Amino acid sequence: MKSIINFFSSVKLAIFLIIIITIASIIGTLIPQMRSAQEYAARYGQFSEILIRLEFTNLYHSWWYFALLMLFSLNILICTLTRISPKFRRVFKPNLEFETTTLRSAKIQDKLIKGWGLEKSESEVKKELRSARYRIKETRKERAVRLLARKKTLGIFGSDIVHLGLLIILIGGIISLSSIRKNFEIAEGEIVPILGSDFKIQLDKFETEYYPNGSVKDWKSTLTVIENDLPRLTKTIEVNHPLTYKGYVFYQNSFGWDWKNPTLEIWATKTSDPTSSKKAFLRLEEKAYWEEESVEFRVLQFVPDFIIDGNQVRTRSLEPNNPAAFVELFKGEEKISSGWIFAKFPDFSQMHSKEEAEYKFEFRDIQAAQYSGLQMAKDPGANFVWVGCAFLMLGLFMAFYWPPRDIRFIMTESDGKTEILSAGRATKSKPTLESEFNRIMTSLRR
Amino acid sequence: MNESTLFLITFILYIVAAFYYFAYLFSKKESPAKTGLSVATIGFGVHTLALIWRTIESGHAPFTNMYESLSFLAWSGILAYIIIEHKYKIRKAGPYLMLIVIAVMALASSPLMPKEATPLVPALQSYWLWLHVSITLLGEAFFAVAFITSIMYLVADSREKKGVNKESALSSEKLDSISYRCIAVGFPLFTLGGLVFGMVWAYNAWGSYWSWDPKETWSLITWFVFALYLHTRIVMGWRGRRSALIAIIGFLAALFTYFGVNYLLAGLHSYA
Repeated sequence: MKSIINFFSSVKLAIFLIIIITIASIIGTLIPQMRSAQEYAARYGQFSEILIRLEFTNLYHSWWYFALLMLFSLNILICTLTRISPKFRRVFKPNLEFETTTLRSAKIQDKLIKGWGLEKSESEVKKELRSARYRIKETRKERAVRLLARKKTLGIFGSDIVHLGLLIILIGGIISLSSIRKNFEIAEGEIVPILGSDFKIQLDKFETEYYPNGSVKDWKSTLTVIENDLPRLTKTIEVNHPLTYKGYVFYQNSFGWDWKNPTLEIWATKTSDPTSSKKAFLRLEEKAYWEEESVEFRVLQFVPDFIIDGNQVRTRSLEPNNPAAFVELFKGEEKISSGWIFAKFPDFSQMHSKEEAEYKFEFRDIQAAQYSGLQMAKDPGANFVWVGCAFLMLGLFMAFYWPPRDIRFIMTESDGKTEILSAGRATKSKPTLESEFNRIMTSLRR
Repeated sequence: MNESTLFLITFILYIVAAFYYFAYLFSKKESPAKTGLSVATIGFGVHTLALIWRTIESGHAPFTNMYESLSFLAWSGILAYIIIEHKYKIRKAGPYLMLIVIAVMALASSPLMPKEATPLVPALQSYWLWLHVSITLLGEAFFAVAFITSIMYLVADSREKKGVNKESALSSEKLDSISYRCIAVGFPLFTLGGLVFGMVWAYNAWGSYWSWDPKETWSLITWFVFALYLHTRIVMGWRGRRSALIAIIGFLAALFTYFGVNYLLAGLHSYA
């Protein structure tokens, strides 16, 4: 048992683990994570199987990375526990029985002899120490007084608080393994039940704001939480401003278009007489009748992001990057022409016509309902992480900016004179301590 | 007068400051170093105006694309240097730091970096942008100063061992301790800005505080390297060469987190 504790309390183990975890993390950024087996086979050939089996392809969630983190946590925990009780003793039950020789062997030390009595010496020294904001403990033994003057003593716990913070963050991380995350789409007016909870979410209103140049500025969804058929809470969420209800958080994630029911604005113009034209707002397969020319046209198919893949038309994405409509023109029952027209490339719009291009079609605009893309998350570990972060930062601040230091004094009186022996101690801010120490000793000499 | 003119003036002032610093390095007189620091400080002032100008003009924080964040990094580097110079008098590090700053400024003004202020995508519209980026870059600026003093340490140390060190040079011992001081400032800033604020923002914007995105992972790696520096130094008493090497690796990791990840690895942090 003791040897196990010794093993886990060693800083060498900590350093070894930091190096191993660092190397593993680097590897994880070099091998693309969580791709398909085919992709790995194409990329790494015969090694792909080994990589997949050893979970290098899902490294950060692999059992061995988890094991490394657990070992590291245990290491931090035991390191901190074995070091904490001596620290408590040093802070709350400090040793006041230090010897002259200890002080004489310190790096920062001084000695002076004053023509004061012991009481006078003690009060002068204390006055100086107090003006430098030191807190003093003392013992008196025969004709000798020992003082322990300390400052920023709690800084000694800085690193322990950092480690505590890290442990809390890691616990939060483990709890977060049970978190639920789900993306869903919701249209205006729609009500979506939230799995695992007893409430529903309704989208009252969804709007997209644009910059003058047309790029998206923000998406805003007004959501209402409905519980037991009663509205409980209404909030407009946007990116960076989620809604939280009973531990569930709803994020504005994205948006989408309902491309199944668009309304398309199509203009038809007679090539020989541009003043003769017909503007129509059409749903899919709906016919527009152009009286003057006694023809009919309709849109048979629509894609938001036109691409020809082999011989097939399909859409590259769900973004309206290259909206295209397949238009058919009829005279009576006879289809006289048909073809793709493009909203962004009117010149490319061509109809395969029997009568060479008698009419020109323009695809002017599309209107489609938008739905809101939301992410629902329930992450019970998050709050642990925030608490851990607070400890982490407090500890770092204490470790770096609250450096403990002390000055020890032994004063001995003989023949009406007092010998004042002093030594300063600091692990982190030696120069500051040294100048403080010198200032105190100089003014005592005066 | 506009933002790019101010940027150009800043750039010129930094180059002039670097000339003075190098004049100091070769002439061994003190006065050019003082002039160098003054010119750099004036440059810093103009740079500050340029950043404020850009903020007002674009209506958002001045670090949302590569040009802006490089410019801000250079600004942070000068700020870190002025602070460290003020506290520890490390004039000898001035010339090298100015070189790095000039390189960053040159990179920022290269035609490869788009300079137009573009409207922010929804995820970036948050005050966390200010907190996350500015504090992280400030922390990295201190790592940059530590990087320079660590390299200077290695040079000074090998000279001292050969017994050829000039008297005017900074002692290796002082360089070692300044590197530590810089990391002692940079590490908490980097932890706060890069990791803590990064996690809070990610939680608010993406719904998850940690996603093992390459940029996140690399900032953790950087953090681990500096944690290694601190533990070997404070607990195991390492000093000198080994510490300097870890500090150098740490800065290179920070640099990779900042640049390399954007160009070599794909991930969520696709903005800058």
